Amino acid sequence: MHTPSLLKALVIIASAAIAPTAFAEPAKEPLVNYEWLQKNLDNPNVRIVEVSVDPGVYERGHIPGAVNFRWHTDLVDKVSRDIASRDSFEKLIQSAGIDKDTTVVLYGDNNNWFAAWGAWVFHVHGLGDKVKLLDGGRKIWELKQLPLDTKEASVTATSFKLPAGKPGLRARLSDVLSVAEKKADVHLLDIRSADEFSGKIFAPEGSKELSVRAGHVPGAVNVPWGKAVNAEDGTFKSPAELKKVYADVGIDGSKPIITYCRIGERSSHSWYLLSQILGYDVKNYDGSWTEYGNSVGVPVANAAGTVWLGK
Amino acid sequence: MAIRIVAALGVLALLPAFYVLLHSGGGDVRKLTQSLVLGALFGVVLQRSRFCFFCHWRDFIESRDPRGFAAILLALGVGTLGYVVLFGAWLPDPASGRLPPDAHIGPAGPVLAFASLVFGVGMAISGSCVSGHLYRLGEGSPTAPFALLGVIVGFAVGFTTWNWLYVTSIATTPVTWLPAELGYRGWLLVQLVVLAGTAALIAAFACLPDRASQPAESRSVLQRALHRIFVERWPATAGGAAVGVIATVAYFQVQPLGVTSALGSYGRWLADSAQLLPETLHGLDGFSGCRTAAATFLTPNFAFVVALVIASFASAITANQFKPAWPTGNQVLRGLTGGVLLGWGSMTALGCTVGTLFSGTIAGALSGWIFFAASLLGVFATLRLMRAQAQS
Repeated sequence: MHTPSLLKALVIIASAAIAPTAFAEPAKEPLVNYEWLQKNLDNPNVRIVEVSVDPGVYERGHIPGAVNFRWHTDLVDKVSRDIASRDSFEKLIQSAGIDKDTTVVLYGDNNNWFAAWGAWVFHVHGLGDKVKLLDGGRKIWELKQLPLDTKEASVTATSFKLPAGKPGLRARLSDVLSVAEKKADVHLLDIRSADEFSGKIFAPEGSKELSVRAGHVPGAVNVPWGKAVNAEDGTFKSPAELKKVYADVGIDGSKPIITYCRIGERSSHSWYLLSQILGYDVKNYDGSWTEYGNSVGVPVANAAGTVWLGK
Repeated sequence: MAIRIVAALGVLALLPAFYVLLHSGGGDVRKLTQSLVLGALFGVVLQRSRFCFFCHWRDFIESRDPRGFAAILLALGVGTLGYVVLFGAWLPDPASGRLPPDAHIGPAGPVLAFASLVFGVGMAISGSCVSGHLYRLGEGSPTAPFALLGVIVGFAVGFTTWNWLYVTSIATTPVTWLPAELGYRGWLLVQLVVLAGTAALIAAFACLPDRASQPAESRSVLQRALHRIFVERWPATAGGAAVGVIATVAYFQVQPLGVTSALGSYGRWLADSAQLLPETLHGLDGFSGCRTAAATFLTPNFAFVVALVIASFASAITANQFKPAWPTGNQVLRGLTGGVLLGWGSMTALGCTVGTLFSGTIAGALSGWIFFAASLLGVFATLRLMRAQAQS
């Protein structure tokens, strides 16, 4: 009878070794890598959230245990153009089983654009200290051929209450206009493609033309979001490399920054890295070009001179 | 026989060639590859079991042969069971107000009913539905190429009438998903009872043909098995069950089964080239169904359809059913006119017998059942009319 009791002892020791204490402490950094996430899939204090733009991506395979936040309905107001209200966001957080000790890891398709946008919404609603991005998002997880699950995660709802929000992380049209009119000393960063920035095109291919003027906000500099990532796996470049990319266009953190794009989601990607990785003072302008470029009477820089012909 | 096997293998060699072409396009390689494999399997199953909505219905309407119709009902039953398993994992609460991702659940109203009726008429005139014409292309059918050309033209016409229909009716038509109303269990129960009831009903009217007397077998068991697989027609029920399984796997891996979105993309391109395409197609891209792509042809659905044709071609060769024939004027005319009706109907109904009827019904869409009833009515009425005309 020695063998079974020895086995039992071994099992006890082994389970102690993989008990919650064995989980790595949540990284203090704004990013977690796929290796860390793999080790923490069963960590009860980690909630993984997928924010992808394409429907059906989550259902056909997501990181095990991840819950799904739908960009078009969960994180926005469905009637007026706004992010999810405090009340509906609180309900969403509760239903995802997020509590005061939870670390939230966001990831998604399309190079984490929408996951980064989700992270910005978390920050605006006061949960900035809880949220991290999986560096490389879906892209690196699939590239490394790590396991995916197709079951909807089952989570227990909480009664967590949102802390005070941080509305100051959101730039409004008036803030951007002050910069354009040189009334505020702020760096404006336009992260759209060079052709959108110069005014040659109104919207990238595959997106509808939603603004009736082409070009950019006067005084903005252009660093397309793609310059911040390693193309092969979608991870962010190193902090030193990132610093250089932005310093080359004069953005060095010495002044506050406002990021914008077309609808505010790609710019969240740049907002995240500038504010969370480099520690700069950054707001995201979610109205972006579809608000600014449609506003009456605001100054516009349109180097290409493209005229809107009503089509 | 040896020549046929070599020829079939030669045709199958087109699949890897096509695979290489797909890889050059830079799309989602995994989905393209899965679509290629599923399309090839679907093509073989359709060709070997002669699975065709129209032919099965016609066999029942004209000769009271129920086997094909039963195969369709079986395919719907198997597909429903497959889908409900996926739904249970993906969307545990059907009453949450959400719809399962990409499932072919469309607006269920008068426009759909009319378009499905027109589709049924097109099936009866051209002699097949869209998927049937695709696998018959691989058999050298003289009608299929003209019917498929007609489908593309019909799609182009459909785009020009879409906006008016959308604003007049479709925009306010409810998109009804039965599990949201009945729960998964309630829906499953009702669906299986209706399918079984329909099966019982057709059995009551059925008249099974006499089994052809089997010639004395002098071949080995292996030879007989090979003959059954590669030469004889598969039992309709095997075809039906296989279609249900392929539909489930396709939904799980890539997207629901459908055969018109690639053809529709040609229609869209054609209408655009002829400057007939409206600037905007209201609400169209917001519906799940056989969507058309404006920009690229190398889509998973394109891979699916091309693989279907290649595989059914190879399968027809081994079964000695590749019988190309010069089309007669009547075949050209019937192919084209029927095809246009099929194209307009499937554009307006957001899919055909595969995309809307089959993939919709097994997904619990009311729109699937409406397509089923209205297209069957269209087939029935047209066959009756054509017969009356032939007799007069």
